[in-house]
Amino acid sequence: MKIFFKILLAGCTLGTFQGCKKYLDVTPDNIATLESSFSNANEAHAYLFGCYANLQALADVRRNSGFTASGEILFPINMQDQTTLGGGGGDAGFNLMRGLQNSLNPIHNFWDGYNMGLKLYESIRMCNTFLDNIHIPLDVQPYDRTRWSAEAKFLKAYYHYWLIRMYGPIPVADKAIPVNAPSEEVRQKQQSLDSCFSYVVKTLDEAILDLPPAIQNAAAEAGRITSAIALAVKAEVLATQASPLFNGNPDYTGFKGKNGEQLWPASYDATKWERAAEACRVAILAAEAAGAKPYELRLQGNIVSASDQTKQLLTLQGAFVDPWNAEQVWTLNPRFGWQYMAMPRVTAEAAGNVFAVYSNFSVPLAESEIFYSKNGVPINEDVNFDYANRYLLATGDADHRYYIKQDYNTVRGNFNREPRYYSSVAFDGAVWFGSGNTNDNNPNYVNAVNGYASPPDRTRYNATGYWAKKLVHYQSVPGQNTVWQTYPWTFIRLSGLWLLYAECLNEAGNHAEAITWLDKVRTRAGLPGVVTAWATYSRLPSKPASKDGLRSIIHQERRIELAFEGQAGWDLRRWKELQNVLSKPFQGWTVFNRTVAGYYQLSNVYQPAFGLRDYLFPIQQYDLLTNPNLVQTPYW
Amino acid sequence: MTIRFACTSIRKPLPSRLLALVLLFFSFFSTSNDVSAQTNGSLSGYVMDSTTRLPINGVSVVIKGTKQGTSTDKSGEFHMDISGNQALLEFSFVGYKSKELVVQKGRPATVYLATIVDTFGAVVVTAYGRKERREAVVGSVTSIQPGELKIPASNLTNALAGKIAGVIGFQRGGQPGLDNSSFFIRGVTTLGYSASPLILVDNIELSANDLARLQVDDIASFSILKDASAAALYGARGANGVILVTTKEGKAGKARIEVRAETAISSNTKSLKLADPVTYMKLYNEALATRPPYGAPEFSQNQIIGTQKTLDGAGGIYPLLYPAVDWVKELFNDQTQTYRANFSVSGGNKDAKYYVAGSYSRDNGILKVNSVNNFNSGMKFENYQLRANTSLKLSPTTEVGVRLWGNFNEYMGPISNQGGGFATDLYSQVLHSTPVGFPAFWQPDSANRNTKHILFGNRLRNGNLQSNPYASLMYGYKTFSESRMSAQFEVNQSLKFITPGLTFFGMFSTNRYSYFDVSRNYLPFYYDATSFNEQTGEYKLAWLNNQPGSAQEYLNYNEGPKWLNTYLYMLGRVDYTRTFGDHTVGASLIGSRQQTLSGNAGNLLASLPNRNLGVSGRASYSYDNRYFGEFNFGYNGSEKFAPDHRFGFFPTIGAGWVVSNEKFWGGKLAQVVTRLKFRGSYGLVGNDNIGDPRTQRFFYLSNVAPNGGPRSYFGTNNAVSMAGTAIYAYPNPDVTWETGRKSNVAVEVSFFDKLNIIAELYHEDRYDILIRRGYIPVTVGIEGSADANLRANLGKASSDGFDFSLNYRQDFNKNLWVSVLGNFTATRNKVVQWEEPEYQYPWKFYRGQPINQPFGFIAERLFVDDKEAMNSPVQLFGGNAPQGGDIKYRDINGDGVINQDDQVPIGLPSTPQIIYGFGFSVGFKNFDLSAFFQGSARSTFFINPSATTDFEYGIFGTAPFANNAQILDAYAQDHWSEEKQNLYALWPRLATYEVPNNTQTSTWWLRNGAFVRLKSVEAGYTFPKRWTNSIYMNSVRLYFSGLNLLTFSSFKLWDPELAGNGFAYPVQKVFNVGLKFDL
Repeated sequence: MKIFFKILLAGCTLGTFQGCKKYLDVTPDNIATLESSFSNANEAHAYLFGCYANLQALADVRRNSGFTASGEILFPINMQDQTTLGGGGGDAGFNLMRGLQNSLNPIHNFWDGYNMGLKLYESIRMCNTFLDNIHIPLDVQPYDRTRWSAEAKFLKAYYHYWLIRMYGPIPVADKAIPVNAPSEEVRQKQQSLDSCFSYVVKTLDEAILDLPPAIQNAAAEAGRITSAIALAVKAEVLATQASPLFNGNPDYTGFKGKNGEQLWPASYDATKWERAAEACRVAILAAEAAGAKPYELRLQGNIVSASDQTKQLLTLQGAFVDPWNAEQVWTLNPRFGWQYMAMPRVTAEAAGNVFAVYSNFSVPLAESEIFYSKNGVPINEDVNFDYANRYLLATGDADHRYYIKQDYNTVRGNFNREPRYYSSVAFDGAVWFGSGNTNDNNPNYVNAVNGYASPPDRTRYNATGYWAKKLVHYQSVPGQNTVWQTYPWTFIRLSGLWLLYAECLNEAGNHAEAITWLDKVRTRAGLPGVVTAWATYSRLPSKPASKDGLRSIIHQERRIELAFEGQAGWDLRRWKELQNVLSKPFQGWTVFNRTVAGYYQLSNVYQPAFGLRDYLFPIQQYDLLTNPNLVQTPYW
Repeated sequence: MTIRFACTSIRKPLPSRLLALVLLFFSFFSTSNDVSAQTNGSLSGYVMDSTTRLPINGVSVVIKGTKQGTSTDKSGEFHMDISGNQALLEFSFVGYKSKELVVQKGRPATVYLATIVDTFGAVVVTAYGRKERREAVVGSVTSIQPGELKIPASNLTNALAGKIAGVIGFQRGGQPGLDNSSFFIRGVTTLGYSASPLILVDNIELSANDLARLQVDDIASFSILKDASAAALYGARGANGVILVTTKEGKAGKARIEVRAETAISSNTKSLKLADPVTYMKLYNEALATRPPYGAPEFSQNQIIGTQKTLDGAGGIYPLLYPAVDWVKELFNDQTQTYRANFSVSGGNKDAKYYVAGSYSRDNGILKVNSVNNFNSGMKFENYQLRANTSLKLSPTTEVGVRLWGNFNEYMGPISNQGGGFATDLYSQVLHSTPVGFPAFWQPDSANRNTKHILFGNRLRNGNLQSNPYASLMYGYKTFSESRMSAQFEVNQSLKFITPGLTFFGMFSTNRYSYFDVSRNYLPFYYDATSFNEQTGEYKLAWLNNQPGSAQEYLNYNEGPKWLNTYLYMLGRVDYTRTFGDHTVGASLIGSRQQTLSGNAGNLLASLPNRNLGVSGRASYSYDNRYFGEFNFGYNGSEKFAPDHRFGFFPTIGAGWVVSNEKFWGGKLAQVVTRLKFRGSYGLVGNDNIGDPRTQRFFYLSNVAPNGGPRSYFGTNNAVSMAGTAIYAYPNPDVTWETGRKSNVAVEVSFFDKLNIIAELYHEDRYDILIRRGYIPVTVGIEGSADANLRANLGKASSDGFDFSLNYRQDFNKNLWVSVLGNFTATRNKVVQWEEPEYQYPWKFYRGQPINQPFGFIAERLFVDDKEAMNSPVQLFGGNAPQGGDIKYRDINGDGVINQDDQVPIGLPSTPQIIYGFGFSVGFKNFDLSAFFQGSARSTFFINPSATTDFEYGIFGTAPFANNAQILDAYAQDHWSEEKQNLYALWPRLATYEVPNNTQTSTWWLRNGAFVRLKSVEAGYTFPKRWTNSIYMNSVRLYFSGLNLLTFSSFKLWDPELAGNGFAYPVQKVFNVGLKFDL
């Protein structure tokens, strides 16, 4: 008995205490955890796709302040239905030009991801997590591992750059902070502007080393980052850092951290332009090495008749809308989805289906007037251009028949303009090659006064009478069975790089070289060289000779060349010119009037409001509560 | 067996005490086998309880100064052979004061033993069911005589508040089966998931629901472990305190049968009063006229007059044309009956003892039943239980026990769609149904004379049927069955063959829980009257919902959720106690493991077993019954945490000093202060119940959806697409239990052996509380999907408080005794650390405030008029400017705008900070009478002024008219109106919709939750002994009792204990009659 109990006791004791650890190990091995996402090459690859997701979301122009707050395109206000842009406040970005920005609930809040902003810090954390774990999967080929890591680094750098452009000094998130970190660790401070830029450049440099120079398998990988892309981005980053908004801008010298540390560079530094110019040079070389070259027209489908003029227009436009062409240095998947916002109704079919075309993207009159005259100089400088009478009516003639419907009345200002005007902007009387009609001898055209293009209601209308034609592919055919020839959105084109290089060279003092690169763009646009053009046609013939004069020419050239591409808003900000562009009322024609005389009365759409403080974005007030180490952007 | 035992005793010299026990054992053996051993030459007598006059079984009777003795049998008799003619006998028994008496041969003595006053029971049950002498206890343990918990209701949890010092309790609803009180030991000191105490019945962890169903008559002991020292053995699970219940075991002797039967009438303590239909109509019109868009009256003057006539009982066509329905009356009875009965049989002999008990209770709801239905959709909640505790002595050193328990609940009641309760949403429907639209049901017209179904009334409004609460009550019923079966095996083994004083206790227990519910319903037929014959009063009914499938006579069938789970527990304990002269040492080592498994957990993680593993120990030392010291520790682990955070060590120390046992304690002082003891403890205890086990397990693991995250596309045709990973929870290997650092000091003092007082002071710092990290800056990049699950052990809270209990008993003479008891629990807590933003204004911070401190606006009064409203600080809620008669809020920060920055801490948490109770009992001859008052103080609650119901918490909006709501009579009497511009009216300016300005959380709706109630009264009569004996019974007692008879509170709208849940099933007032007898 005794022995029995001794055994019983021993048994009970052992049973209880033996294998303690085992007893509490109840979780099987195969529970999905973060490690599962790095268990093999496939999962890790998918994780990288997740890192890319917000980058691709940035290609949606509604999220791009460079598009919505550029003065290039306005969105009508007081429509019967303000939700045409996808609803959910999809038009929020356009309100940046209306003085509606605020710090309580900021528009384009890319800090927290509200009001058409994205949670970029979330994406940055994903990249960091990816970089922390990519060593885990054993079946990832070494070259994939380095390439994917480099892509994640690029993404991380680009997301930071996007934020710096908006907020100036930001907290740099180079590592995924553990979620159980103490408060002080998670309450990151803003770093000084230049160290933010340096971080981006340094990270890009790291990525560039390991990225492939070009995509080999375009069918599967087009859209993945290459070193040519990264170098082009690096050039843009450095040019941005060198630009007036960020380079010794006196408006922000008071931008100090919580402890009084200087967050803003105290003075202008010319060498920043030199670094940017060098980066542009390298980027152009790399792009060319990867096969980049000016776009050559690829016509598709049955073309009934396309004159040389028409082909020129299609070439100029195609550089942007022909998918994955050689001129596009950096293009983002998936596809631009707002052609119906940019297009006028030019056919009975399109007009018959009121839901096919909305036309709300309205180009202000002032934007249409930045395009040069046919002589390649600003219309208000051209000695041959009747600038003063540009709002008087004229009738479409044979010379302009590929641009303006012959015998159709429209304003004089639409005549004698450079090809990029006709390729980028549509107006009442403009010829519209495409939309089911590829015969430029009897083309579709825009009748905004009393034809198909006039507003059917107070929702589906263009508020100025100018359409961003550039954004609509000629093969897009709205109607009962609408077909949109969609295309991916391009962030960097070769001609844009040339202009950036020209800008940097000019700022760095290399005047002659600047003109060379500028003229490359003009030549492609069918315009004479800048020196010749100004000497021959401009009221200010010596303008290109001075650094300041050339700067203004380069800026205008860039706005024309890259019009509606989501760049102008950012350029105007970094040049500190946006406030000026948005100081005058947005004007257009009296679009609801159905008579020619009535239609061609100038009418104010609204008075934009954009102050000095709007150059940088406010941080949502709540974030300052949750992170007392942050300081609000000045003036907010 | 005996031989082996003898061998052991020969080999090792036995201490004398043990020898005595052995002798005793043999004497038992002989007495039970040879009854005729009694001789005339023995001492004999009876030992009885001095109060109840009932015989006491097992009283030790020893000749003073010797080891010679015996004990009484079940009828209280003893016989002892001695050499001389007389002897000085010492009578002693646990729970009674010892008594000495000279007994002479041939003259049987009758000895009355007096109980030691209740809460000073000599033996206290402490952690893991150990019995300890009260004197030796250094931790804070409150034991209560189970009888004190007897109330005329079938829910034990409702008896706790005010009865036990250290328990904060309150009851928020009275629906049968759902009427548990919430209770916290020493209040709430956590910001985390659970503040509930650990509930152990016979060492098995059970839920509050199981505790609620325990039969008081089955309980042997009920203890509350309050401080670190008492709860330390439970380690990471004891921080919220422990409730320890043991059930009765059999006693050797003839079978003893106890039966109790009760029947009671219960009714609402207070019923909600709605305005009458005419007032409803008038005020509805007023509400329409007084606010934009200033609509035309809804009810015409004719309609109002007609309805008044209906109310006056005009008869004829009036009730048909102008129905006036009191939905409350249609649905609810004024009172209902409940029944309870239980019995127990206990007995046994020296080798086997048993306790078998069964019980049945039936609570009926106050809902009405219509005779047309052959099913009962009223409410019925039945509980039956069977318990069998048996123990067998296998050898003199080995005892095994088996405990079996089955607890079965059956419910039948109306179908409810809401989560708030089985039937509470009927109150919501009643409140949100028009009283003047249509009758509850129609008497059949000529066309429907043979219709089988009930002709429910209704009327189309904007083409839609309206809600008919009567139909909701009648259209079907829901049943649920719930059961728990528990089996437990125990072994007690003396290990004195290793060393004297060493014992082993082992236990294995398992139980199975199951629940399922089913509802069955038809689809009600709704009718409206179309034409009236004004002369004959005849009418024609039109069937309103005549679309196919929208009304049906046959029953639908719906299966509800089914819950199944199992529980497994093992415990091994080795105890050692030995006294060496003045020194007593004790030690225990306990190992336990526990597992629960759910059969329908819903997801992989939740389906994994919940486990707990622990080793705990205890070492004690005492010197001369004067100085006591104790060290306890718990070392246990839970599977919830990362391997290196699984095991925690929770040490505590405690000490006691019985001053009254000191030599210097003598003379007058000792006569006045008969007992004085100080004790104190300090140590750590943990709480590992930190996350919802169904959704939050394994904080150290991440919860992810690979390929469920953001997606991107590549390739010229976007042909290649993959999605990244969505993270629902980040891994946090550091998450661990919360820890309470508790200190406790207490003084126990008795005056004249009659008045006993225990006062305790405590302080607790709770740290590592798992709180949600709501304020991580977004720059960290936490994914939105994981945000809600982001938690860390960052919270800190503290509490301190005071428990006080007092009892007094005076026996005036043989026939009259009086006892008084009172206790008082006050707790106060504070958020010490909480992750929150650096607010601009100091009043926004949660830290420094009591836990669950409400925040809101300070309401000044109602606006005088629109002009004043316009000129006051901007107060825009819902985009609308306030009007005269709307609530005016104070602009705290003076910025001219009323917004969230002006919200300040208002009122107190709804968990009371003070709970107290006091009562008395008197006995005169065979009559006894007791009364008990219970009170609650320092709490506030809000009236919900919105039109919507928070079903999760069952808090109903009281706004009139909006959502078709009726108006409370109190609001009808006292609201701001153009005629009566009372700036402090109960309800602001009327509206037919919800007015956001007035529904803000503010002091306007804040009410004091304090109340005192006459909780229970009992008057009983015990039939005289000779009478009961003549019907072969030991005792018979008839009693009348009442529950919640009177309530005193400044709040008048509904029972204050319901707090904000004014429309919950009310707390019940009960009148009960019961009969108890044993034989």
